[in-house]
Amino acid sequence: MAEEHQNQIYLQPIPVRIWHWLNAFGIITLTVSGAQIRFPDYIHWLGSYKSAIYLHNTAGFVVAISFSLWFFYYTFVARTMANLYVPKVDDFKSGIMRQVKFYFLTYFLGWENPHHPTPDSKFNPMQKSVYLAIMFVLMPLVSLSGIFLTNVDPLRSLIVMIGGLKLLAGLHFLLACCLVAFIPTHVYLATLGRTPTDHIKTMWTGWEDEGEGHTEEPEKSNSTASS
Amino acid sequence: MFILELGCSRRFLSEFLPKGKYMKMDRSINYLWSLLFLMVLAVPLSASAMEMDDCLGCHGDADEVGDELFIDADKFIPTVHAEMGCVTCHESVTDEHPDDGEAVSKSDCLDCHEELGSQYMATEHAEYAVCSDCHDPHQVHGIEAVSGPTMNQQCSQCHEDTDVMDSHAEWLPQASLHIRKLPCITCHTSAEGYEIVLNITQKQKKAEGLKGYRFSSYADLKEISGEKEIQSIIDIDGDNNISLAELRTFNRNPAYKNFHLSGTMVPSEISHDLTTLDNRYDCTFCHASGPGSIQTSFLALPTEDGYYRRMTVEKGAMLDTLYGTPNFYMTGSTRSPVMNIIGLIIICGGFIMPIGHGTLRFLTRKNRKH
Ligand code: HEC
Ligand code: HEC
Ligand code: HEC
Ligand code: HEC
Ligand code: HEC
Ligand code: HEC
Ligand code: HEM
Repeated sequence: MAEEHQNQIYLQPIPVRIWHWLNAFGIITLTVSGAQIRFPDYIHWLGSYKSAIYLHNTAGFVVAISFSLWFFYYTFVARTMANLYVPKVDDFKSGIMRQVKFYFLTYFLGWENPHHPTPDSKFNPMQKSVYLAIMFVLMPLVSLSGIFLTNVDPLRSLIVMIGGLKLLAGLHFLLACCLVAFIPTHVYLATLGRTPTDHIKTMWTGWEDEGEGHTEEPEKSNSTASS
Repeated sequence: MFILELGCSRRFLSEFLPKGKYMKMDRSINYLWSLLFLMVLAVPLSASAMEMDDCLGCHGDADEVGDELFIDADKFIPTVHAEMGCVTCHESVTDEHPDDGEAVSKSDCLDCHEELGSQYMATEHAEYAVCSDCHDPHQVHGIEAVSGPTMNQQCSQCHEDTDVMDSHAEWLPQASLHIRKLPCITCHTSAEGYEIVLNITQKQKKAEGLKGYRFSSYADLKEISGEKEIQSIIDIDGDNNISLAELRTFNRNPAYKNFHLSGTMVPSEISHDLTTLDNRYDCTFCHASGPGSIQTSFLALPTEDGYYRRMTVEKGAMLDTLYGTPNFYMTGSTRSPVMNIIGLIIICGGFIMPIGHGTLRFLTRKNRKH
């Protein structure tokens, strides 16, 4: 560990950071182009309808690729997927409540975050459950429904079997809305570090300050409202 | 006999009536008028005493006249052209035919279809194809009686499917879906409006080595409707109008799990101007014209002779959230308002935390000063 990182821990390895920012910008692009695709009569941000479609498809592809990077990295390289993302029995018994109490009560009183992130336990119990839902349920379902929607003809019988194109498109839309709702919550919680940009810097450089008295230290956390 | 005059009277009428008015009559021809003219004009003009049945006696039998000259009576007789008989269009035919060796005249479509005809003749495409390249005069049908794939067969005689697919894929997202789903003329004629047509479609049998779906034929549907008319499969009360409730019942009936309604868009009026496509190049002609334009829709039921007849579908069915037309969805135009509202609520939910928590955080900021 280099001198300059004396009081820091290396929390976000490069693959995670690449994935995260590809994902973040990808999802924002998808949101904007998706809005135009659904409401072309009101929204013309990206010029022609066709460019919105192409952009949406491309961004979807980028997000899917970066999702695989994330999955591959945590599962096969770092092998911390289960440890990081899956809440433990303890988390359910007391962890989540402890964290909720912190966010909605003791945080305002100025107490310290009960959870301290380490590379092996980056997320507090609340983050774990939300990230789990986002990364293992929402993202795969939205991507999958998107893949179906770009291959309607070849997958027609499957689509009919699951209840029709309208259901599929509706599902894609509503689940995407959940992801969109996650963004403001997520970005907001990311500002709850020692300084508002603390966690965001970590996500960019990989290094988290360990130092002195963490007043609060939730990294960004999760949300209640998002889903 | 009466045959001939119909044609003549129409032409005759067209001389005297203002054009617009005549063209209206062209659609719903007034046969009483025609009969009247028949009385006056018929006898002196006819060159032959042969009736349609006489002609078909020879021409309806391929063994007699050969494939080239064969006219399929089963297909000809149900058409509106048959009401005019043969001699109306083949005026010069004589009683001695075919022994006289005279060439038989064949009337020009433009004599009777003046507006569509002259519209078409003015376009570049008239240099490439004449009326009879696309229409067999002995098997004509209106657009409501012809399915999209059948219409497209007319075009694919000259425009190879793969060529069309390739050239459209250069600019059209989801080209293969569009080309498969839409009649070419929806994009390639100048009609300014369109309507939705639903077809009952069924899964092909794996056992027969076929995949995917195809339009159900009359026989297919008769198999499931049994004694009853096929219309009863979906038009439960038999009023020739499909209500939203009837659509839902059909779509949710587990007995019909191999069937679904597939939708397409066809021009709401026939135009033969194949050149006007600028607005079709802009996807929002179809994908944004929005809920209003998606309101008019029909169900096309197959008929025994291989064509279709249309029934109206209740307005709004295309926009029904789930069960109206589960498999007809067009991005941009068939979005469901209910889902939009749910989506909006979800997104607003995402702001509860930043706004609520943020406010408290601001108010209690002193507690966190150290
Ligand atoms: C006795 C059998 C017979 C009857 C009845 C008959 N045709 Fe023909 N028709 C023929 C034959 C055979 C030819 C081919 C003659 C030839 O090639 O010279 C022919 C040729 C024609 C052609 C010309 C085809 C071409 O491309 O040149 C037309 C049009 C035609 N018939 C129309 C009619 C009509 C209309 C009637 C009824 C008014 C009729 N025919 C009645 C046997 C018949
Ligand atoms: C609406 C007008 C119309 C009517 C009605 C009509 N024909 Fe024709 N027929 C034509 C035209 C136009 C052609 C020339 C088609 C072409 O150029 O390919 C033709 C061609 C033919 C031919 C030549 C072979 C072919 O198919 O091109 C025969 C034979 C013929 N007609 C027989 C009949 C008979 C028999 C009847 C009545 C049962 C009949 N037609 C009714 C317009 C008509
Ligand atoms: C490039 C192919 C093509 C050519 C050429 C063509 N049509 Fe059509 N026509 C169609 C198609 C496709 C339809 C719609 C389906 C149908 O009714 O067969 C149609 C429909 C029609 C209809 C029925 C309209 C209605 O109200 O349903 C008439 C009448 C007609 N055409 C007349 C003509 C005449 C006359 C000519 C020659 C001047 C002509 N067509 C040339 C393709 C063509
Ligand atoms: C003698 C007059 C006459 C001639 C010639 C004629 N038609 Fe027609 N055609 C009619 C009438 C009448 C109708 C029914 C009313 C209407 O749709 O305009 C009709 C209808 C049609 C239809 C629509 C059928 C339907 O069920 O709505 C088509 C397509 C058509 N004609 C094509 C042609 C073509 C192609 C030619 C030339 C080969 C031709 N017609 C020649 C009189 C004629
Ligand atoms: C008898 C042959 C024939 C048939 C049938 C035919 N076409 Fe064509 N078409 C041509 C030829 C030849 C050209 C010129 C070469 C090219 O562009 O492929 C052409 C060109 C075109 C063009 C481009 C030129 C223009 O006018 O803008 C369009 C669009 C077109 N056809 C549409 C259709 C549609 C739609 C149908 C069916 C309703 C159809 N064609 C049926 C022969 C045909
Ligand atoms: C979604 C609307 C749409 C549909 C459906 C469609 N086309 Fe086109 N087509 C267009 C447009 C727009 C152009 C002009 C493209 C350009 O100018 O670059 C075009 C161009 C063409 C051309 C001329 C250029 C070329 O590729 O040679 C032909 C021929 C043609 N279409 C035939 C067909 C046929 C046949 C069908 C049905 C199988 C069909 N089209 C279906 C929209 C459509
Ligand atoms: C502009 C928008 C975004 C910003 C500013 C942002 C910020 C951050 C920050 C600072 C972290 C690190 C804190 C932590 O590990 O919890 C983080 C982690 C994370 N973010 Fe984001 N984020 C954004 C968009 C998104 C989006 C759109 C998604 C998913 C749809 C997402 C999913 C995640 C996940 C799953 C983690 C945990 C990563 C890990 O360490 O494995 N983020 N984000």
